[in-house]
Amino acid sequence: MDGQAGSPWQQALDKVRDWARINSPWAIHYNSGSCNGCDIEIMATLTPRYDLERFGVKLQGSPRHADILIVTGPVTRLSRERLLRIYDQMPNPKFVIACGSCGLSGGAFRGCYNIVGDISEVIPVSVYIPGCPPRPEAIIYGVVQLLESLKRRNAPAVNLPRQEGAPA
Amino acid sequence: MDTSTALEKAAAILQPWALATATPEPNRLDVVIERGSLIPAVKALVKARWGFFSALTGLDQPPSGDGEPVREGCVEVLYHFCSAAAVVTLRVSVPYSDAKIDSICEVIPSATLYERELIEMFGVECTGTPNTERLLLSDDWPEGVYPLRKSFTGFQQAEGQEANHGSAA
Amino acid sequence: MEAQRKFIVPIGPQHPALKEPGHFQFSVEGEIVTGATVRLGYVHRGIEKGAEARNWTQNLYLFERICGICSHVHATALALGAERLAGVEAPPRAQAIRTLMSELERIHSHMLWLGVAAHEGGFETLFMYSWRDREIVMDLLESLSGNRVNYSVNLIGGVKFDVTEKHHDEILKGIEILEERTKHYLKVVTTDRTFLARTRGVGLMTLQQAELFGAVGPTARASGVARDVRIDAPYEAYPQFPVRLVTDDGGDLLARFKVRTRELFESYRLIREILNHMPPGELTTRVPRRIPAGETISRVEAPRGELFYFIKSNGSEKPERIKVRTPSLCNWASVTQVAIGHKLADMPMILSGIDPCFSCNDRMVTINRGSSSQVWTWEELRRYGIEYYRQR
Repeated sequence: MDGQAGSPWQQALDKVRDWARINSPWAIHYNSGSCNGCDIEIMATLTPRYDLERFGVKLQGSPRHADILIVTGPVTRLSRERLLRIYDQMPNPKFVIACGSCGLSGGAFRGCYNIVGDISEVIPVSVYIPGCPPRPEAIIYGVVQLLESLKRRNAPAVNLPRQEGAPA
Repeated sequence: MDTSTALEKAAAILQPWALATATPEPNRLDVVIERGSLIPAVKALVKARWGFFSALTGLDQPPSGDGEPVREGCVEVLYHFCSAAAVVTLRVSVPYSDAKIDSICEVIPSATLYERELIEMFGVECTGTPNTERLLLSDDWPEGVYPLRKSFTGFQQAEGQEANHGSAA
Repeated sequence: MEAQRKFIVPIGPQHPALKEPGHFQFSVEGEIVTGATVRLGYVHRGIEKGAEARNWTQNLYLFERICGICSHVHATALALGAERLAGVEAPPRAQAIRTLMSELERIHSHMLWLGVAAHEGGFETLFMYSWRDREIVMDLLESLSGNRVNYSVNLIGGVKFDVTEKHHDEILKGIEILEERTKHYLKVVTTDRTFLARTRGVGLMTLQQAELFGAVGPTARASGVARDVRIDAPYEAYPQFPVRLVTDDGGDLLARFKVRTRELFESYRLIREILNHMPPGELTTRVPRRIPAGETISRVEAPRGELFYFIKSNGSEKPERIKVRTPSLCNWASVTQVAIGHKLADMPMILSGIDPCFSCNDRMVTINRGSSSQVWTWEELRRYGIEYYRQR
């Protein structure tokens, strides 16, 4: 179970894990207050024309089985807690992709009373995909960027501890 | 039935309760009524099968500022009924101090969602509405803060959290 | 004797197909639903308040982002209302282009719905096929406007881009392929036996119910209600290009499938008409920056039904109040009444049958099966529905 960090067993195990993770990352999608634009584009990305599944990416229903959390939209007051709960339920290591302008900055909704802020103000984000909404190609590019960085083992912002007392 | 006949018919149906009527646009009829006559007026429209209940709008009219004639703050509740191109609007005013209105759910059960929205956004109590749980706002939303009232201008006043993330940037 | 059990079915947060979070609450006795309510608010952003702090042009962008599926109709409703208050009218060519976009958007939305609804019934093949074919209309929308979603067609007083000869040919070609495919889909939804078992007689809403509960759009038309804003109160270029009403007397899910699919043919016909009789002329007209004070009601037919805007201007650069009542809210209100008496296993199909759009008004579902509380995800409910019918 708890192999020493440097032991050959652990190294071999890590290799297998990385291989599995890069070749078949499972994703979960959460809409934290988006207009649907990004969500239908994510759906389109999974359907025959773009077919994200050829990279082994599978959209998953449960956060406990997911490696990647794709979040769309600004974070609303009601969805904030749920977003945190989903993030906490995901097993380590976990990666977050923020999809769309609203997720990056609040977009057109910044300043509305029910908006807590952008996604990075609530959970740490590894990849940002800009666009309103991003094209399916852009979403694929974003996912591939994440997988590439995992291959190079310099994944950005992986498993950053969530800041306690983050804005409510 | 063309639009003007439909509006005439509606005017005739609502005539017993109308305090004032107006036709702001050719396809519209605004009828100002008393709070107490809301249910009978709605019942009359439904009974005559005049159109369908389309929307419920709240309009905030804050109390007058300095130098203006004194006017109490009130919320105007607008019940829109549509029949083809014709739109009839029942306008009911309720003052802040006694923000209560009868629920029309007994006549039109599907109005409950609109009424819950009105309760949350304007703080108008709908007496007799079957469900008053939160519909749109979060559970931790402070009591007595109604976002669509003009006096609400953001969260600096309500909770002082905004400085952490939003407008300061 | 089984005590009443409480089922909580939150749909959305972890739901792969229905893209948005919502929470429905069903009370269940055995298998039969005895009550249903909704909790909205997960996607509530406070747009109506936000509108009061933005000027009219900024609002056009904000309102387009109420919903990414029917973004064009939202901007159109606002633009039409503002133009009416300002006493101007967009030039005929602009109106025709708006109408063209509305119809293209309707095609994209109906095909999206066809896929999602099929998915809820466990019919994955139809889901993938309809989404594949939807890409044709997405390409057309992109080549016209430059964006696949949120097209930003409207300005107050006109539209932003013209339809060229090249677009003309492209659209006609795309429509032709889609028409063939739609014929196939109509055949599938009306003849496939497994599919019919999930749709025929399910979610019945009578004409009287639909009228009383104020159902709108295809949901109402599938119950035989002749209600379509494009016909009742024509706007844009609909007076020149009249729409033929599509209704069905079935009132069940099958009727909703049929109405939406047949509306696609109507949209194809309209698009051809518009392209062949495109009025020449300007694209924009001058509109004052301050919209004169007044109140107006702007109604347009979104893919899901009547979209209702109440707009009040105080004569400044910013609106005094904009009330948006989206079609999904009307249909929610009606479906929560209709759901009573149906099997729990039918709920995913019934709910998706109205083409719910969460961001439009924003929402969630809960089920009560009495005292013991059990939490189901939407996915579990969907599978439950599929399994339930598989075992029969």
